[in-house]
Amino acid sequence: MTIDTAVVLAAGEGNRLRPLTHNRPKPMLPAANRPILEYVLDALVDAGVECLCLVVGYKRDRVQDHFGPTYRGVPIDYVVQKKQLGSGHALQQAAGAVDDSFVVVNGDRVIQAKMVSAVIDAHEDAPAALAVLEHGNAQRYGAVDVENGQITALVEKPDRREFRLINAGVYAFDRSIFEVLARTERIDGTLPLTAAVESLVDERKVQAVRTNGLWVDATYPWDLLEVAREVLRHGLVEAPERDADVWVADSARIDDDATLQGPVVVGPDSEVAAGAVVGPNVALGRNATVGANATVEGSVLDTDARVGAASVLIDCVTGHDVHLGPATVAPGGPADVQVGDAIHRGERLGAVFGDRVRAEGGVNCAPGALVGTNANLRTGVVVSGQVRADSEVIR
Amino acid sequence: MCGIVGCVGRRDETLSTLVHGLSKLEYRGYDSAGVALVDDDLDVVKRAGELDDLRAALDGRSVAGRVGIGHTRWSTHGPPTDANAHPHRDCSERVAVVHNGIIENYEELRAELTEAGHEFRSDTDSEVVPHLVEDYLAAGEETEAAFRRAVSRLEGSYAIAAVVAGDDRVFAAREDSPLVLGLDDDAYYLASDVPAFREFTDRVVYLEDGEFAVVSADEWRVTDADGQVRDKAVDTVEWSPEETGKSGYDHFMLKEIHEQPRSLRQCLRERVSELGGTVDLDVDVAPDGVQFVACGTSYHAAFCGVSLFHEAGIPAQAFLASEYATSPPPVDGDLVVGVTQSGETADTLNALREAERRGAETLAVTNVVGSTVSRECDQTLYIRAGPEIGVAATKTFSSQVLALALLVLSQTGASRQDVAALRDLPGNVQQVLDESNAEEIAQAYHGSDAYFFIGRGLHYPVSLEGALKFKEISYEHAEGFAAGELKHGPLALVTENTPVFAAVTGDGELARKTIGNVKEVEARGAPVVVVTDGRNDAARYADHVLEVPTSDERTAAILANVQLQLVAYHAADLLDRSIDKPRNLAKSVTVE
Repeated sequence: MTIDTAVVLAAGEGNRLRPLTHNRPKPMLPAANRPILEYVLDALVDAGVECLCLVVGYKRDRVQDHFGPTYRGVPIDYVVQKKQLGSGHALQQAAGAVDDSFVVVNGDRVIQAKMVSAVIDAHEDAPAALAVLEHGNAQRYGAVDVENGQITALVEKPDRREFRLINAGVYAFDRSIFEVLARTERIDGTLPLTAAVESLVDERKVQAVRTNGLWVDATYPWDLLEVAREVLRHGLVEAPERDADVWVADSARIDDDATLQGPVVVGPDSEVAAGAVVGPNVALGRNATVGANATVEGSVLDTDARVGAASVLIDCVTGHDVHLGPATVAPGGPADVQVGDAIHRGERLGAVFGDRVRAEGGVNCAPGALVGTNANLRTGVVVSGQVRADSEVIR
Repeated sequence: MCGIVGCVGRRDETLSTLVHGLSKLEYRGYDSAGVALVDDDLDVVKRAGELDDLRAALDGRSVAGRVGIGHTRWSTHGPPTDANAHPHRDCSERVAVVHNGIIENYEELRAELTEAGHEFRSDTDSEVVPHLVEDYLAAGEETEAAFRRAVSRLEGSYAIAAVVAGDDRVFAAREDSPLVLGLDDDAYYLASDVPAFREFTDRVVYLEDGEFAVVSADEWRVTDADGQVRDKAVDTVEWSPEETGKSGYDHFMLKEIHEQPRSLRQCLRERVSELGGTVDLDVDVAPDGVQFVACGTSYHAAFCGVSLFHEAGIPAQAFLASEYATSPPPVDGDLVVGVTQSGETADTLNALREAERRGAETLAVTNVVGSTVSRECDQTLYIRAGPEIGVAATKTFSSQVLALALLVLSQTGASRQDVAALRDLPGNVQQVLDESNAEEIAQAYHGSDAYFFIGRGLHYPVSLEGALKFKEISYEHAEGFAAGELKHGPLALVTENTPVFAAVTGDGELARKTIGNVKEVEARGAPVVVVTDGRNDAARYADHVLEVPTSDERTAAILANVQLQLVAYHAADLLDRSIDKPRNLAKSVTVE
């Protein structure tokens, strides 16, 4: 029996992506200028899935508001995970919504349809199938070993560097996974799906499906820049292509004297003023505004972002509704960025602005600045490092 | 104020298609429902109560037919009973009729038919129609001619569909009540509104007043009152059937409150340019004065429109449409603007017709493309909010106010700041949705004796709307007042157990004066909830605060209203009310 149902795990916050996840879960963060989750659902629908079950939890209204009751004509069944107790626990919530066999995917990583089709095909011969792909940075993800088409090891973030294959987070299961989940021990109260898969691996029950193609994940805010570059490189944007690698939504307005340097995508209702230079590698979300003579390069500016005249933004990420006044400058460059207790050295990052940050004008951002949600940067301040949410920064 | 459906050509699925259609029209009324299916015989099943009661009655019965009609009722003549539910039959039980509207001369027709020996089984005006058809059939008329003659006897408003045993056609007619035909590859549908069959087709034909339709499995034909065939345009519906699901929310109302950022974006799309400082609406008017006609929530939106026009120096007045229709003021070259979500509101249509008779230019502000108001008015401004299912209007209010703000700017010219303020609105509404503490406030004041809402300027209609929303869905007593009017009477109602919600934004004179009124109620011991952007000190006098982002005063009204929508929703939810289908109410009120 071929699979027509998919469970999408979209309940988690993704707390290493703070402050961007203050008002929405990680799957709703932008890959270029569409939510990551749209790419996931595209992959599923393109692979022939006819029934989508979205497990939602953290800030679930953002998912529900964006997608509504269907996606591309495919009905969506929303299942709520009230407490985020891991991906296995999330899947358990969907037990009542699925049939004998189904696909399970993470909602927070860009995947492609062929990975989904491949696990669906492989599932015909095995109770569980898992897509794997080669990745140069396997130790950052769930790494796998494969022998004779079977997964023989599944290790989260291995210390050793010899792994070359990773778990793409695209699975096909039959209902026996729910029994496995029920007998899998929780780790610190949470139940990761991989813990259940590991016990199936121990029993040599998981078919490995080698795939390739676009697979990008964001762990930290600046990863969204790389995600956008990859998405633009693959041309996976939803807007008419005006010139080579220049995609502009029909409802956007670009002044004749503005310059768009591809690859660049401009979302619906956005406006770009005279003298502005936008691109390369820029994604403007819905209803974004770039003022006269501003320069935006290598950046992701999300819905309702407003960039004042003569600003310079290089390698920046904004949340929703960020207003940067005239002559805001984030020159970019390698930076040491602190997230939690860890310091990430030499990351290429201009600045990250959380949802609804207001910068009044003439604000300068040292490379790697992380500005918290709702922070208000008064005229002429210089910010570096972390700025707390809701704070008021004055000279 | 009812919904009718018809189906031809889905032989084995006639019943399920009709019931599906009725479920999509429940917003038009839901106190009884019924279906009639025809083969050689006529089968009628109808029940008082919600559609589920009809479903239960149908359960286990083999009701089938090649063609059928159905009805969901909101009572006007006679209480909701099985007998008063549609379809209605003649004495021979071979004719069945469903009707939406009011037959004004039914008493006279009923007397005549009773005299002739017909026996009536219901208290409804509608039942005269099958008996009339029966009479003309008995007189030897062919079915279609009998139907036409019956309809020609009616005065009033109607969308009617009829079936006759042994005839595989559905006959329909409209006058002042909506009726639309759906064209599928192998079937045809009839309904009061498109959602009834949108799942099956997006091709539609809107019937106009005085038109008749005859629909069989092979063809559909629309004729005028004289029987001349009309050349009808086939329109394509743009929205998808799926836009009418609840998407994970418990109620359509909450879903629709959350849809506001999106619906406001749609309202603005390609109509404004911030960089150019332009507003372009595709509406060509230049009024010296404006008269609004509207009902309910739309009236409150129109009231906001009045304030906006006044600020722009253009005289404007808002009238309750039901009053305007019967006691119209002089129009004097004013533009008459009808604000109606559905475009089918009978009171508003009548007011507009009265204005037209007096030579006024008319403009419709509506959500529904192809609706009666859009066809009857000289011009139409669409608010583009998308389908709204919850009976309590939410997103359409916001979009109506925004559309009226655009209309004003199209008259006065817009600055870049004006357009920027409008473009910031969807994000600001999202902020309210992200950060609202309305649920906590609803809990804090659960069980109060009454709920009062006050404001000045644009916040006065917002207060009226806040109270209307509250009473509609919670069934609790709620009233809105102009803040300055409190001391002229309503203050006598204020006690320690009547929370007062005050909308106070900005730092100008309006805010200062409203704060004065807040102090008046605070001094009487009433709990105070202020809706504020923090640019004034209203919060000092409040027990609770509902925050809205700082914005242009014109859009602050919409933001404050979103907070009050959420308060009403959560208050009603705590009381376990039927939020999407409040008692005694219907979404689109197509009777006077």
